Amino acid sequence: MNTATTNTASTATATAAATARAAPASLAASAKFKTFAITFSTFGPLIYCVCQFFNWPMFTFHPATNRLVWGYEGPRPGEGPNMLWYGWTGTTLLAAAVVGIVAMMLPEHMTKKLPLALMWLLPILAIPYIAYSLMPWWTH
Amino acid sequence: MQIVSVGTFWTLWLLVHLLFSVGLLGALTHQAMSAALPVRRAAGGIVTRFRAVSAPGYATAVCVLWVLTFIVGSYIYTKYRISVRIPLEQSGYFKTQGFFDFKEHVATLGLVLLPGYWYLWKNAQNPEYDGARKMVTLVLAVMCWFLFIVGHVLNNTRGFGS
Repeated sequence: MNTATTNTASTATATAAATARAAPASLAASAKFKTFAITFSTFGPLIYCVCQFFNWPMFTFHPATNRLVWGYEGPRPGEGPNMLWYGWTGTTLLAAAVVGIVAMMLPEHMTKKLPLALMWLLPILAIPYIAYSLMPWWTH
Repeated sequence: MQIVSVGTFWTLWLLVHLLFSVGLLGALTHQAMSAALPVRRAAGGIVTRFRAVSAPGYATAVCVLWVLTFIVGSYIYTKYRISVRIPLEQSGYFKTQGFFDFKEHVATLGLVLLPGYWYLWKNAQNPEYDGARKMVTLVLAVMCWFLFIVGHVLNNTRGFGS
């Protein structure tokens, strides 16, 4: 009896350990996660370029005063520069996550049509745009 | 009571950023080489051995290291904006500063690629993903080298001891 109990307990422990080890694999095997991950990574670079082009930071940080405000705020007189990159990144992560979640709700036959090549092609195409957006530095 | 001076404090964080980035660069370069030029026969010279790693095993480490490097870099950036960028502009290093801005954009582009990259490597057994997996890994590796070199040049321009 005791041996049987011990065996059952050890089997349960081994199963739990195996399940814990298998957790990442189960996430990677999930069709929903696939749709989220592929959509997030495909649209992320595009969303970032749009955020930067239209200047849509989620928040603005003023490093000299440690002031953090929602949305865009220009540099304030006597308070040093403002920083927008954190806000653009925040907007991008949020918007890409929303797009990924929406994609998860769509039928699989629709999301399957998203070409995988876009995931590496869009970041490459983003580079010339970013270089162009930094033109004032190159031509100063 | 201050345990370390302000300069030492930021230097230590810069070193942490450097250590994470070196780990990331090594892992991504190994993985990219292995994905782009897979080894058919074991052994051989140092280049073959460099390529002959189990590439899928690097995926989670690359994601964790990219995020850690990104977070520490973002923290240092607050100090950089005041103490480094303003003197760089005053000294006329406009192109150097332009490359720093380029670096921050590329770091974010790499960050958003991570979920897809991780998924593709965790399904390395699926031949349908071979092309995309190789290309995404190469894009991330090139980005990482760019970030590293720009960071290195900026540190030489106005980093340790300035």
